[in-house]
Amino acid sequence: MTTSVFPTCQLLHTCRPRPHLLHRTPGSTTSNRRQLTLAVTATTRAMEAERKNDGALKKGIAEFYDESSGMWEDIWGDHMHHGFYDPDSTVSVSDHRAAQIRMIDEALRFAGLSEDPTKGPKSVVDVGCGIGGSSRYLARKYEAKCQGITLSPVQAQRANALAAAQGLADKASFQVADALEQPFPDGQFDLVWSMESGEHMPDKAKFVNELVRVAAPGATIIIVTWCHRDLAPSEEALQPWEKELLNKICKSYYLPAWCSTVDYVKLLESLSLQDIKTADWSPYVAPFWPAVIRSALTWKDMTSLLRSVVELAGGGVGVWEWNRDEGHLYSFTVAGAGAPGFDLQVSGRWLPVPLILCSPFRKL
Amino acid sequence: MKLLTHNMLSSNIKGVANGFPLRIEVEKATEKQVELNAGFLRNVFPMIEWKALVDAAQLPEVADSSMLDSDFLNKFHHALLELHLEKDALVCPETARRFPVSQGTPNMLLLEDEV
Repeated sequence: MTTSVFPTCQLLHTCRPRPHLLHRTPGSTTSNRRQLTLAVTATTRAMEAERKNDGALKKGIAEFYDESSGMWEDIWGDHMHHGFYDPDSTVSVSDHRAAQIRMIDEALRFAGLSEDPTKGPKSVVDVGCGIGGSSRYLARKYEAKCQGITLSPVQAQRANALAAAQGLADKASFQVADALEQPFPDGQFDLVWSMESGEHMPDKAKFVNELVRVAAPGATIIIVTWCHRDLAPSEEALQPWEKELLNKICKSYYLPAWCSTVDYVKLLESLSLQDIKTADWSPYVAPFWPAVIRSALTWKDMTSLLRSVVELAGGGVGVWEWNRDEGHLYSFTVAGAGAPGFDLQVSGRWLPVPLILCSPFRKL
Repeated sequence: MKLLTHNMLSSNIKGVANGFPLRIEVEKATEKQVELNAGFLRNVFPMIEWKALVDAAQLPEVADSSMLDSDFLNKFHHALLELHLEKDALVCPETARRFPVSQGTPNMLLLEDEV
């Protein structure tokens, strides 16, 4: 069994029914057991246990993104999510930005949103907005008013700064807030957008509940997130080796326990959502990682390499020495499991090292 | 594994008060040439735990950044970046737990009961 560790990327889409519609369209799920899927158990019981650690998790997430956002932006630009590629294609890192935009467009298309900007959503919430890449893109595309929330003060500040710099301050605004307690009234948004943030949510039920609460009647909810494979009918939980592997990744990325696509579907169905669709987009995001490894020649690619090295090294917990002899990084070590970061000088610039890298390090 | 790396690593096993520096058990040490970057060396110098580097390589016992011209810079560079330890292990100074190094890569993964 390959232990390649690309997370299953699942897309969920729902339409909220108008209050008077009572019939429900059953969701059409294409969930596959994939050989490349990482898995860990995420039963509701496991999620309950995580609740105790939520405060620490939130703080960890905020700090992680506070520390690493700048570097990430340096390398990837303002979109902090996977690109969407043709399966089995060979891509280079320079294709990444176009692929990230394609990811947004593919998600919109999957959700059945109109290509016609005049028919698109007018008010959007970006849940887990990062530095606001999606929001600004949607604001431009649909001339919509977008509001983003993130746990990271650094990200919120940067997102607002970028919006101002791009003349979008009146259309895209960002604040620090918890996705589990969104600071918005019920039914405010036509489009509820969660692009690769769901994996951080310790309470999936609360997360989905909030997404639905702030959605207006007839609104669209789009969730692109990492899930583990659906369990077979005979299975109570994932295999021990799957749990172990995913646990290591969770520790590195400040992720609570994962759930499956079916778990999300059940939550959405319980909230009477209509037209629930899901898809497994693993093949479309998989080309991202080999490209990163192959092209990791500069500091600009380093963090992405490190993240993928963390993952591809069988769950990311070894120390990897990276040699660079061109006045950039000379030596670097990577390990899983967070601890306070430290600063490393690269090409004359001091950069904060992401929290994922520091477990075996002494305090500097 | 470069001594730069060794200078950054610590045994963070639960219960260990001071896991730095790790003791080095080395089977083979080679030298690899690395182009000297004075700016990098000057900037990384204050981060280095000098005694640990001295013990691992042959360097003057006392050093400060005013020494970073000429000959000393070369020595510092050589020790930090050009000495490569292969087929070695790093050993926790308190518990004697071995962290194996293979192909220059130390595996600092802690076991579940060490965390």
